[in-house]
Amino acid sequence: MLDILHPKISNINKNNIDINLSEEKIKINIRGKNKEFFTKVGKILSIILPSETNTSSSNENYDVLWLSPDEWMIYFDENKNTNIFDQLYKDISTLNVGSITDISSQLICINIKGENIFELLSSGSPFNFEKFKNNVGSSTQTLVNHIDVILHHKSKNNVNLFVRRSFSEHLYEWLVDSSNFI
Amino acid sequence: MFLINCPFCGERDQSEFSSGGEAHIVRPKQPTELSDDEWAEYLFMRKNIKGIQFERWNHAHGCRKWFNVVRDTSNDKILSVYKMGEKPPVNYK
Amino acid sequence: MPNYRIHKTEYIDETKRVSFKYDGKTYFGCEGDTLASALLANGIHLVGRSFKYHRPRGIVSCGAEEPNAICQIGSKKDLTEPNVRATELELYEGLEASSQNCWPNVKFDIGGINNFISPLIPAGFYYKTFMWPKSFWKKVYEPLIRLSAGLGKSPTEPDPDIYDHKHVHYDVLVIGGGISGIIAAKMAAKNNLKTLLVDDKKILGGSTIYQNNEAIKIDDKLSSEWLKNEIQEINKLSNLTIKTRTSIAAYHGYNFLLAKENLTDHLPEEKKKNKIRQRLWKIRAKKVVIATGSIERPLVFNNNDRPGILLSNSINKYLDFYGVSCGENIILFTNNDSAYETSISLHKKGIKNLIVDLRKSASSELIKQAESLGIRIYFNHVVTNTFGYRKINSLEIMKLSEDGNTTVGNKIKLSCDCLGMSGGWTPMVHMHTQSGGKLNFRDDDQVFLPKENSEDQISVGSCNGDFDLENIIDKTVNKINKFLDIDNQDYQDTNIICSKENDKRNIWLLPNKIPLGKTKCFIDFQNDSTAKDIKLALKEGFRSIEHVKRYTTTGMATDQGKLSNMHALGIIADTAGVKMGTLGTTTFRPPFTPLTFGTLVGRNVGKFFEVVRKTSMHEWHVENNAEFENVGQWKRPWYYPKKGENMHDAVQRESKAARDSAGILDASTLGKIDIQGTDASEFLNRVYTNAWSKLAIGKCRYGLMLNEDGMVYDDGVTTRISENHYLMTTTTGGAANVLSKLEDYLQTEWPELDVYLTSVTDHYSTASICGPNSKKILNKLFPNLDLSDENFPHMSFKEDKLENINCRIMRISFTGEQSYEINIEAKYGHSLWKMCIEAGKEFNLTPYGTETMHLLRAEKGFIIVGQDTDGTMTPSDLQMDWIVSKKKFDFIGKRSLYRSDTVREDRKQLVGLLTDDPKEILEEGAQIVSDVKSKPIDMLGHVTSSYFSPNLNKSIALAVVRSGKTMKGQKLIIPMENKNINVTVSDTIFLDKENKRLNA
Repeated sequence: MLDILHPKISNINKNNIDINLSEEKIKINIRGKNKEFFTKVGKILSIILPSETNTSSSNENYDVLWLSPDEWMIYFDENKNTNIFDQLYKDISTLNVGSITDISSQLICINIKGENIFELLSSGSPFNFEKFKNNVGSSTQTLVNHIDVILHHKSKNNVNLFVRRSFSEHLYEWLVDSSNFI
Repeated sequence: MFLINCPFCGERDQSEFSSGGEAHIVRPKQPTELSDDEWAEYLFMRKNIKGIQFERWNHAHGCRKWFNVVRDTSNDKILSVYKMGEKPPVNYK
Repeated sequence: MPNYRIHKTEYIDETKRVSFKYDGKTYFGCEGDTLASALLANGIHLVGRSFKYHRPRGIVSCGAEEPNAICQIGSKKDLTEPNVRATELELYEGLEASSQNCWPNVKFDIGGINNFISPLIPAGFYYKTFMWPKSFWKKVYEPLIRLSAGLGKSPTEPDPDIYDHKHVHYDVLVIGGGISGIIAAKMAAKNNLKTLLVDDKKILGGSTIYQNNEAIKIDDKLSSEWLKNEIQEINKLSNLTIKTRTSIAAYHGYNFLLAKENLTDHLPEEKKKNKIRQRLWKIRAKKVVIATGSIERPLVFNNNDRPGILLSNSINKYLDFYGVSCGENIILFTNNDSAYETSISLHKKGIKNLIVDLRKSASSELIKQAESLGIRIYFNHVVTNTFGYRKINSLEIMKLSEDGNTTVGNKIKLSCDCLGMSGGWTPMVHMHTQSGGKLNFRDDDQVFLPKENSEDQISVGSCNGDFDLENIIDKTVNKINKFLDIDNQDYQDTNIICSKENDKRNIWLLPNKIPLGKTKCFIDFQNDSTAKDIKLALKEGFRSIEHVKRYTTTGMATDQGKLSNMHALGIIADTAGVKMGTLGTTTFRPPFTPLTFGTLVGRNVGKFFEVVRKTSMHEWHVENNAEFENVGQWKRPWYYPKKGENMHDAVQRESKAARDSAGILDASTLGKIDIQGTDASEFLNRVYTNAWSKLAIGKCRYGLMLNEDGMVYDDGVTTRISENHYLMTTTTGGAANVLSKLEDYLQTEWPELDVYLTSVTDHYSTASICGPNSKKILNKLFPNLDLSDENFPHMSFKEDKLENINCRIMRISFTGEQSYEINIEAKYGHSLWKMCIEAGKEFNLTPYGTETMHLLRAEKGFIIVGQDTDGTMTPSDLQMDWIVSKKKFDFIGKRSLYRSDTVREDRKQLVGLLTDDPKEILEEGAQIVSDVKSKPIDMLGHVTSSYFSPNLNKSIALAVVRSGKTMKGQKLIIPMENKNINVTVSDTIFLDKENKRLNA
């Protein structure tokens, strides 16, 4: 097997903020509009795609985030089910009911947890976390320190932050620096 | 800094958006049939009104959807937002 | 040493002495002092020289409006800061401050000579004088002006302090922690609204907090006592955040406000370390309550600027808040009641004082109190002159005529060591107008007031023109209840007793027997503009307040005219004979008080100055000594110098290796878009100039994307992965914009198309191996892959596994060499690269950077969008007509390609250039001409790319030249600073025109 090299993101714990790399994770971008699409995805994943803005659905295997009215992201630990992408691609992309794209390496998952994480994110994000932090399961796309991110409120004060791989080290360093000044 | 009510994601800071200029300029279906002047009208001519203006905005750092905005350029107030393909609200002219 | 600290207050801890240095001398203040109050406690009034005339100036106020007491803080090259208001700077142990704008020192200042030649330097002096002789400007005038320009010294080394930004969201923001702000904040927070209260001072309470007059009481307590209780209460409210030492700098649309919080400016140096100095709060509030109060106006009379002349209320605050008396023999000069409060307070502490009042008489509670205390009052009198060079020592008063236009009777000379002036109060409407609010003028007391409050913004208290306590509390409560749509009863039974001011008399420019031309009636203390200057401007024809302001520089100093703007307006109105309200005001612009650059920039300095993107192979490049180039946000290897090599050497070596054997490039930064859907082919037909429907599965094609105006926008290779699945590549810099543009067309123009776009730029890492030995290297990596030209020809695509991991391999070329791009999931990118390097060792596989890539493609005449194009180049201009489909009905930009302007034959077109001297390398950007003698020289174009080609052993260049297509073989000239370079127009392809190397 080829060696895997993850971005340089190590565990940091400061001022009630815990920052961790949360890989390996499979991430799949799912696009589609019609009924057949929803039925098929639902069947394969045993999950109903969230239709409400800025929300997510989860079951024991997957988390699915709403990204836009015809776009979702599903993510899960790599060791859970490695051929779900192939299944989805075969039944959705190949049959032209939507689009399935593997973005596992496109995004890096950084887990941030602790009491002060929303303070931390607010240093660099114009997003209003008021509702978000009171609702476990919320998801949103926004900017943190000018970098696009997807945020998933996994459990109370525990957020999975997804950022493009190329930005991830820079954003991580910025998060670490910011956590000094909470 | 505007607060823009994305029709899909709700109120967000302006920095999440990019502006796409005047709305409701439809790309001609048969550009080759047009004279230079007619094509120039589509390509270059924009209103730039002081007052109520219809604009396109893109939630570039959010859901990536384009949508329309009615904005009073004299005070920057956004009066209405609506999705692509929807008719502009009738109460603004 | 004199001590003017004459009584104890709860805000000053006299047991804690604080030593500080002012102009090199050591003094002591107390904990709780500002620099200004500490100086005054030491009897120091003289703190600087005025900007233009270098007149001695003293502390005037106790807050943000201070025009004179601006200091240089510290002396370190990196930390010194100019123009800090001594009235706002809290004293700390070891503080070093010095006066500004004087040399050699504040007491004896050479520039003071300007005072005596002042008749020679009226308003507009610079504009009028330095016009002639013309030749003097550069050598004499400008250096001289520069020498005397500016206030203070800026630091010369980078700021070591840390600054931060933070976004916050509140239901209600209350600006100002005076009595009305405190009431508003309490009402909001108690009603379950998430509330933020900000105040620029250390201690809440505004001017009420040191109020101690028996005539002003709330619920039978002194108003200050009552307010202290209120402050205790609001400190308990969990919904309320209170930020002191925080001032609003800007109020933008949609209730977006910027506030600066001072975190360490009040701490001794050793305690400042590693802490955030200032934080910029980016506040979004659903509703904003403006309770910014008002500031006292000075009065405009002859020599009103001497040290020892202060605002009357400031004297009061120095006395009752800081325990400092500004003098021992004080005169208060007023046109309203508030100076009486000061007078009574001074009297109670045994300080001799008297009052000169413009008004003919007055009859409020306060006045009765003053009279009963036996305080001498000169009604209907005006100060006409003051005396004393470094500090006021006496003044003259005269009686006013009935109409107030002139003085009558004899001069009365009064001695004093301090003069307090009060010309009434100016509501601080800055926030209201910054937010877009308009103003009304109230003739009664000549104030501008917020015209109307919107549903998300309201002004309360004295910034709304409510000056007496009863008015302030009643109106604030009513307005807040309405504004927040609540029903708060907390203040229903509050019993308020206060003195009501009944008499007013305002005169903007006070009359004097001396002709105006011989007086010094200052309006703007900091910029030294006088009433005479304003009148001169009007006489010279200026009418608009905006013009008068700029011509006289009134209100343009660091204090932004907080004390001067109203008087300038008033004098203009009086002189022009118009009603004051009709003139309007100058624009109130942010910031309210100056901000440091550090605050604006926050932590986006050093390594966070710019966002950085790295490929998964980045570490290898670093370890192998790459120099990096910024391409957009990406760090790309530029070249890999070996020991002793400069950039030229490295690039020559890399380029030669790539053509002679093999080279490898990290191409991961190219934009990659996954395209799926039944209409994907049709979509590509519409966005690229060439045809896509017939591209076979497993094949690649180069595409050129135009803007609707027909100009080249982006280019790249797209691969058909399956029937309805493509992978598009874009330029590195264009990736995000291309995706956004394509989404735009899909969502708005062609929503009927079944196409989905997903960025996968970061998902794949790409190693591009080129050169005659590339196939052999590929064979080592993918032994099972049939690399024959029949099975895997140029412009085709295969998938294979590298140790079980999927790779997408495209045989495409940007160098003209046989070339393979291997794409692998990014987490394996680093391994892939290392394996390529390992496999290529025996073939001298040489890593090359962007510079070599640019050189290699230039040898082949391939364009780089953004380097050889600039948004004005059509495909035809680039001699790329071959890529524009004639058959397709439509594509983005098609119609523009035969607009009258785009078919012009004399457009600038891409050509090759060869220098007559093959060793001469042209400069990119150099201009191209055909004749250097004609004047003006006709510019034909410019060089876009230029290199020395080691493979051709000569210099090559690409250029855009007017009508270039028809000029092949023609001689042209590149005029440089010290020589003319002769060139010949050539074909754009310099190497391997027949494309033999692609299949070699």
